[in-house]
Amino acid sequence: MKASVENLTKRFGPVEAIKNLTATFKSGELIALLGPSGCGKSTMLNMLSGIIPVTEGKVYFDDKDVTELPPQKRNVGLVFQNYALYPHMSVLDNICFPLAVKRVPRKEMLAKAEEMAKLVHVADLMKRKPSELSGGQQQRVAIARALIKSPSFLLLDEPLSNLDAKLRVEMREEIRRIQRESGVTTIFVTHDQEEASSIADSIMLLKDGVVQQYDSVRALYDEPANLFVAEFLGAPAINQLKGSFGPAGFLAEGASAPIAIGADLAFSGNAVLAIRPESLLVNRGAEKFRATVVDRYLAGKDALVVVDYAGQRLRAFIDSELQVKAGDEVGLALRERGVFLFDQASGERLL
Amino acid sequence: MRRTAVKNDERITLATFLQPAAYLTPFMLGILIFTVYPFINVVLISFREDYKVLSREFSGYGLGNYARVFADPTFINALKNTAIFVAAVVPAATVISLLIAVLLNSKIKLQGLFQTAFFMPMVTSVTAVGLVWRWLFNFDYGLINYLLSLFDVGAINWLNDPRYAIYSLIIYGTWSMLPFTIIILLAGLQNINPQFDVAAKADGASPLDIFFRITVPLLAPTIGLVIIVNMISASKVFMELFPLFGGKPGPAYSLYTVIYYMYEQFYVKWRLGPAAASAMILFLIVLVFTLIQLLLQRKWKNY
Repeated sequence: MKASVENLTKRFGPVEAIKNLTATFKSGELIALLGPSGCGKSTMLNMLSGIIPVTEGKVYFDDKDVTELPPQKRNVGLVFQNYALYPHMSVLDNICFPLAVKRVPRKEMLAKAEEMAKLVHVADLMKRKPSELSGGQQQRVAIARALIKSPSFLLLDEPLSNLDAKLRVEMREEIRRIQRESGVTTIFVTHDQEEASSIADSIMLLKDGVVQQYDSVRALYDEPANLFVAEFLGAPAINQLKGSFGPAGFLAEGASAPIAIGADLAFSGNAVLAIRPESLLVNRGAEKFRATVVDRYLAGKDALVVVDYAGQRLRAFIDSELQVKAGDEVGLALRERGVFLFDQASGERLL
Repeated sequence: MRRTAVKNDERITLATFLQPAAYLTPFMLGILIFTVYPFINVVLISFREDYKVLSREFSGYGLGNYARVFADPTFINALKNTAIFVAAVVPAATVISLLIAVLLNSKIKLQGLFQTAFFMPMVTSVTAVGLVWRWLFNFDYGLINYLLSLFDVGAINWLNDPRYAIYSLIIYGTWSMLPFTIIILLAGLQNINPQFDVAAKADGASPLDIFFRITVPLLAPTIGLVIIVNMISASKVFMELFPLFGGKPGPAYSLYTVIYYMYEQFYVKWRLGPAAASAMILFLIVLVFTLIQLLLQRKWKNY
């Protein structure tokens, strides 16, 4: 089932959490609502589930207007950040709860619970109480409970932020697998761009209640709509050079010579040149400018150098075999991909 | 440096023992003088045969006082009345309080006003309120009989007819038990994570399902506590008799309670032996109930 929102607005007193938002969540996709805290992503999720009422606008599930329906009648599966498993019930009773309140016959309910438990790999924990489970296991049970009534949507609010780093990677792959196997349209909220990028089909990036970009993960990374999107995605973060753009190219603040890019761009004025660390080539390719190495370090399998260019710092991935050390002067080239120019004032993408 | 606490790995020496002991002494002295000593005295007196108050003479230890008390139809009647009172008041007060507490815990208009209103009886004197109830129950001018007359029910002689006196006592007892029960239950309700309510709604549960399958089980430890405390206090029903029945145990002495019996044996008839024996009997009954409740509570609190 697909969901769409039309001119959705949510106000908490004078604060506008969501501003006139229109979007469609495609059927069968795994969609991440991403953004910094306070961007309205959880508010958005809670309006989809019906937990909080909308101020203005409409929410549709397929073509049905569900704006006024309470959560009980929306048939959505919800997973909370702290899982909210009922502490007095066993795992089995927790998973069965949504069917029990529908007065589904016991035999059918148990069969369905078994199926769900197998899907999320908790079949051997059915007799336990939530307090006897690890965080990851509680998460799995919460997902099983959300899925047992065959919901139209699975909504997860910061599902991984209560888990430790190792478990987080494991569980996000599990969420991906469970979503694939069940085929349910899934929307999850996260503030972690890596989490969103690694499992989502598409990402809706929000800031101050406004969608910055809503597209596939690849598109957000390769074709960011504005500086905020370019900044938010990618680790290490995208390099930013402040300066001005004119007919001769981009002149960084404090630099003596311009960098020749964007030959046929009509813009002139203050701009930001943003370069992904993997698109900044050290001592390779056609040299655009020179800079001094400040530091180099290992980040997992990769090596990174930090260079100083006219007083501004840039990071670049290098071949770990490459012999450069602090103080060396290196030539820098730019890749075709992963290099963007933004208007400094508006953050708008120019190139 | 002075030591203020005994750590786990430290040996308890005279010095580490004395300081906390000194802090505890005033409290312990109070308990010893006003609780432990009188209790031991009551136990001893209840077994003393032919105990004389003034000379403190007695002929020996035995079960004579207990035999006498159990042979007294007034005591049996008092036991029966107390049992009926407890059996009616405790469940009624618990159920009514639970409903009121749930309402007070939900977002309603004038919530503060209602909370204050329900807690008022807690801070008013039992006697003053009892006198108000005496008027409410009044045969000729009482508000209750007036309300009943609106439904064509004949006036009931609440306070002077032995058949109805126990109902008056139960109604008044239930009412006066509400504020304490509501406060405790409300505190329990506020300790329940509101997320469970949201989760249950998303799971498709109706308000009744949420109440019976989520709220009540999560509140079970608190409900258990309230039942124990109320059972103990209802077993001691005594004060309530004075304003309602003008100092007598009900019309025509029909509504004896165990404590009233004890009081009468002790202060009016100066029969200390039977008074102590009846106190011991009530103590044992309450103790058994408390132990049962504690066992149940351990079973309830299994998460």
